[in-house]
Amino acid sequence: MTQLNDEQPKLRIAADIGGTFTDVALIRGDLTIATRKVSSTPEDYARGVAEGILELVEVEGLAPSDIGEVMHACTVATNAILENKGARTALITTEGFRDVLEMRRIRVPRLYDPLYEKPPALSPRKWRFEVAERLDFQGNVLTPLDESSVLTAIDAIKAAEVDAVAVCLLHSYANSEHERRIGALIKEHLPNVFVSLSVDVLPEIREYERTSTTVINSFVGPPVKSYLDSLRERLEAAGLPPKFFMMHSAGGIVDSRTVVAKPAQIVECGPAAGVIGARAVMLEAGFSDAIAFDMGGTTAKASLIEGGALVRADDYEVGGGISLSSKLAKGGGYALKLPVIDISEVGAGGGSIVWRDRAGALKIGPHSAGANPGPACYGIGGTEPTVTDANMVLGFLNPEALAGGAVPVTPALSRDALSRVVAEPMEIDLDRAAYGVHELVSTVMTRAVKSVTTFRGRDPRDFAMIAFGGNGGIHSVSLARALGVSKVIVPPGAGVLSALGLLYADIETSASLALLKRIDQVDPDLVRNSFQSLSEQVATELSRELDGVELVFEADFRYRGQAFELPVPFDDGLNLTPEAATRIRGLFDAAHERTYGYLLAETPVEIVSLRVTARVQKGAGSLPEYLRRDQTPETTRSVYFGPDWGRVETAIIDRHALSTGDRQGPCIIEEYEGTTIVPPDCTAHLDAKGNIIVTLPVAAQATRHEAAE
Amino acid sequence: MSKIDPIRLEVMKNAFDAIADEMALMLMRAAYSPIVRDSMDYSTAICDAFGQTLAQGVTTPMHLGSFYDAMQHLMERYAGNIHAGDVFIGNDPYAAAGQHLPDIYIVEPIFHGDTLVAWTTTLAHHADVGGIVPGSNALGAEEIYQEGLRLPFLKLYDRGVINSAIWEIIGLNVRVPGMVHGDLRAQLAASRAGQRSFGELISRYGIEEVLACAEELHDYAERLGRAEIRDLPNGTYHFTDHMDGLGTSPEPIVIQIALTIHDETISVDLAGSSPQVKGGVNTPLPFTKASVYTALRSVMQSEIPNCHGFERVVTVTAPKGTVVNSVHPAPCGARGITGYRIIDAMFGAFAQALPDRVTADGMGGSTVPTFAGVHEDQAFVFTETVMGTWGASAGHDGQVGVPHMGANQANVPIEMIEATYPLRIRRYGIVPDTGGAGRTRGGNSFIREYEYIGEEEGVMSLRSDKRDFLPHGLFEGGEGTGPISILIQNGQETELPVLVTEPYTIRKGDVFRHISPSGGGFGPAKDRAPEQVREDVEAGLLTESYARVTYPHAFQGK
Repeated sequence: MTQLNDEQPKLRIAADIGGTFTDVALIRGDLTIATRKVSSTPEDYARGVAEGILELVEVEGLAPSDIGEVMHACTVATNAILENKGARTALITTEGFRDVLEMRRIRVPRLYDPLYEKPPALSPRKWRFEVAERLDFQGNVLTPLDESSVLTAIDAIKAAEVDAVAVCLLHSYANSEHERRIGALIKEHLPNVFVSLSVDVLPEIREYERTSTTVINSFVGPPVKSYLDSLRERLEAAGLPPKFFMMHSAGGIVDSRTVVAKPAQIVECGPAAGVIGARAVMLEAGFSDAIAFDMGGTTAKASLIEGGALVRADDYEVGGGISLSSKLAKGGGYALKLPVIDISEVGAGGGSIVWRDRAGALKIGPHSAGANPGPACYGIGGTEPTVTDANMVLGFLNPEALAGGAVPVTPALSRDALSRVVAEPMEIDLDRAAYGVHELVSTVMTRAVKSVTTFRGRDPRDFAMIAFGGNGGIHSVSLARALGVSKVIVPPGAGVLSALGLLYADIETSASLALLKRIDQVDPDLVRNSFQSLSEQVATELSRELDGVELVFEADFRYRGQAFELPVPFDDGLNLTPEAATRIRGLFDAAHERTYGYLLAETPVEIVSLRVTARVQKGAGSLPEYLRRDQTPETTRSVYFGPDWGRVETAIIDRHALSTGDRQGPCIIEEYEGTTIVPPDCTAHLDAKGNIIVTLPVAAQATRHEAAE
Repeated sequence: MSKIDPIRLEVMKNAFDAIADEMALMLMRAAYSPIVRDSMDYSTAICDAFGQTLAQGVTTPMHLGSFYDAMQHLMERYAGNIHAGDVFIGNDPYAAAGQHLPDIYIVEPIFHGDTLVAWTTTLAHHADVGGIVPGSNALGAEEIYQEGLRLPFLKLYDRGVINSAIWEIIGLNVRVPGMVHGDLRAQLAASRAGQRSFGELISRYGIEEVLACAEELHDYAERLGRAEIRDLPNGTYHFTDHMDGLGTSPEPIVIQIALTIHDETISVDLAGSSPQVKGGVNTPLPFTKASVYTALRSVMQSEIPNCHGFERVVTVTAPKGTVVNSVHPAPCGARGITGYRIIDAMFGAFAQALPDRVTADGMGGSTVPTFAGVHEDQAFVFTETVMGTWGASAGHDGQVGVPHMGANQANVPIEMIEATYPLRIRRYGIVPDTGGAGRTRGGNSFIREYEYIGEEEGVMSLRSDKRDFLPHGLFEGGEGTGPISILIQNGQETELPVLVTEPYTIRKGDVFRHISPSGGGFGPAKDRAPEQVREDVEAGLLTESYARVTYPHAFQGK
């Protein structure tokens, strides 16, 4: 058994692969942070990761042998699905149910579209095979497994030359024997294919979701495995430690070698890393409830952190595209029911194109100019105005160059584009047009925030906002204002927060199983034994003894007759006395009332599933101090802050100009990683960790819009 | 009216939409019945003070625009008697301008100070509202009195105080009171969420601005609608569609559409449709209008707000006393099927004007089996909407495993059905050698087979269609196949009528097998690419022997 902390003096380094850049971050011996951005290498991502790490190590005057651990998040699993480049995957299922995967849940993500086409099944019909067997919902065998039908399927699979097989039988969550036997037969006859059994991946009720998740696991398995193998080789060849850790979609990290058993768990690891970084920042800054807001070039993402804890999504789909009402409009992607942080996304980023519809209304995105042709002001071919162009016209952005001088800009091109598309046809002033774009982006993004707050019965005004990503600091205050949020935190290194997040994550994994029993009737031994076996399972996954991990016991509860569950902590499950059952029921009633506004004291409560999470504290602990750089001299420029203030001569300052205490806006903080806007009625200061804390006036949202226009 | 800042308008439109969606999500998550929580047969909306929809949650298209008439009815009835804290409840198609009895409205005024400024409205299909059959979709009902509990708009809450009598009357008149009360609570929770969010909107932007934007939003939607219609070719396009008819000796029911595009407006006249029938498939005019709006929106290309302004560019007329504008006491429990047929007929008419924006005919809406009885000492009613298959379009084959355009509903997970009801699903999947032939093929049929495993006798009934009038193809594409619905009892197979007017008694071991209709094809079969035919055979969607007969050109020299 490996002791994970025995290499303490060595340094930890993290690499996060993004669409354009791979971000690398390192905690130095003096507990300060060093970061590096290098180009991603899509033809062989592992190369870019290894090179980026080596580059940072070299710049820092270190040797590869100084690095003790590598933390990593990648897009390999996501891309396999989005680009349909996963393994050739076969499916074995119960006779009569070959098409469960393809029928899906019927709903489509777009209303009023007769020409809609469903995404193709990840395991095509010609590779889906039925075997004779049947269980009932309690796991009783109605039809024994006919092994000859399994062998027939295996022969066909062999002939199809697939790389991976998924096995998902009806009601297998209640009895794993048939799936296990099929797994053994596949192993015997097809030793080289990647196999996923639904009882290992997601032993929960609902056949489409379980099948889809298992198929995704097989579909991404071979590419993830080959990527991890190649990264391991690259790291080793570079003299770096070949043992590395991966983030999973629920925000924990696991040994990369255990990822291979359940590769579907890393599909959303990149965005998860950002949220973990945001949580670390927020806890250090003294907040326990916050909205993590991540705005990049194409999309904006929001996630909720409540009482210091992450919120999980229970209805996640991968590859569903960006939909304004994604919480209602399901069916566009592939259901993946593994623990995923609830992150909602809208197609509004710096590169989002500004346009007008047929009735003349202003619209933003979801089309993005991306980095090429880019916003009009880049002058490299983009002619359509983008959100960045509007911000340029307003004076929010540096009129000479962005990204610390790396991207030269021509503000006149922004003005031309925005005049042509918005100001002239709408007969409004150019500043007003640009501010309108800025305001509208905020409104579109409120949907992303609302779907993780008000849509779940939470009031955004009870939360602070952590802003990160390239455009987070530019739009966060407007967004906060639209939501009634009164504090915005912009951490140092906001542009590479996902990489930093990898350094603050704990080792963590979880496992669950279906139960479906009434809390007041369930056999306490069943609950305890189930928790016990889940505990052993997660500890084994982390290669730990039971007493070497922190265990979190949880269950999903619902009122009998409901179809949606709420998770509630369930330590009582280890010793479920009648009093404990009453207590847990009360907790569930309270959670239900908080979310839906009512409780049903007379209705029986059911335990739908049990879940155990094992955690090993691994994070960097306290965040590093913000490293002061040479101060740049304060300048000013004219900035338009909306019709209430008009154009204001605004101070352009460095982050540590805020260290002397509260500074009244307007001011703009310009840094290599991004820009932070502080409007005239807000104040900003720097906390001890170097976070910019912007405070909005509480009364502002009630009064400022009353000015007639 | 004042000139509204167009940007502020867009901001407010997004805010209204977000509230309607928030209500929809709240309702779904708190709901009890499979038809609400899984099929999502419900709608939420924010209406202005005049009862005009400002935003409608993205759930059931066929409810689009359905709130307006009900709201007019309510406001007339309670003029001068609407107060903060009132919550209205109603369902009657004739006494409350409702849809059919299972659809219960919960409507609550929003006050700003003493002024009524808006409404939160929800509408949910309840699992049962009494009447002669479980599930309250009595196809055999001859009068609405047989269909269940009728509620004009009543105050469920009067200035914040619940009228328990209504609650109790509902509980006593329905077969599954826990489920109905649970879903009503979910509606109340959604309404409360909408109230809160709308209040926040007022405190952020001020009441004048919110109301001014609300008014302008209708004009904006109207402008957008007019701009779309201007691009459509002028003319009158006719289409006649049929429902097979009721019971064991069905008489065809005609749906006739005359669609006139004239510059910037559209008028739809349903004259020539059958007189109302003694069976629950009559639709009151509000539902007919909602169905027409749905079809119209589906061929338009802009993102038009789901608000009342859009409806101003459309006129819908239908003679009174017909199946598409029924009058009291015509029963209308299963009127959904008629709504689907109105949408299909609209697409049939649009195909003549806009062949690239519609598909050939599909399954024609959901098949709805209902199973009911007593299980483990409790009454149960299980109804699900089984969908769906589309016809082919110019660009691609008909889709399988999709909802009808009128109702974006989900299936119920088989494992959930079996864990809850005395039913076992024996088979669910695609049926080969179905789907109309064509350059692009109609979607295949699928099968769903149920075994009743309850110890006590139960009943089942069925709503389906398209056995006599098959899904049509377009531009020489072949017809789809019709549905097969068989009840197997003691080895005896009985083919059920498409619209079952008298429920069947079922016993343990009885099997109900449903094979859905399949979609029509698009373009001549001889133009289908040979490699596509081979792929269909490889995937098992067509057998080789069928493909050789239907697409011989794909096998030349083989």
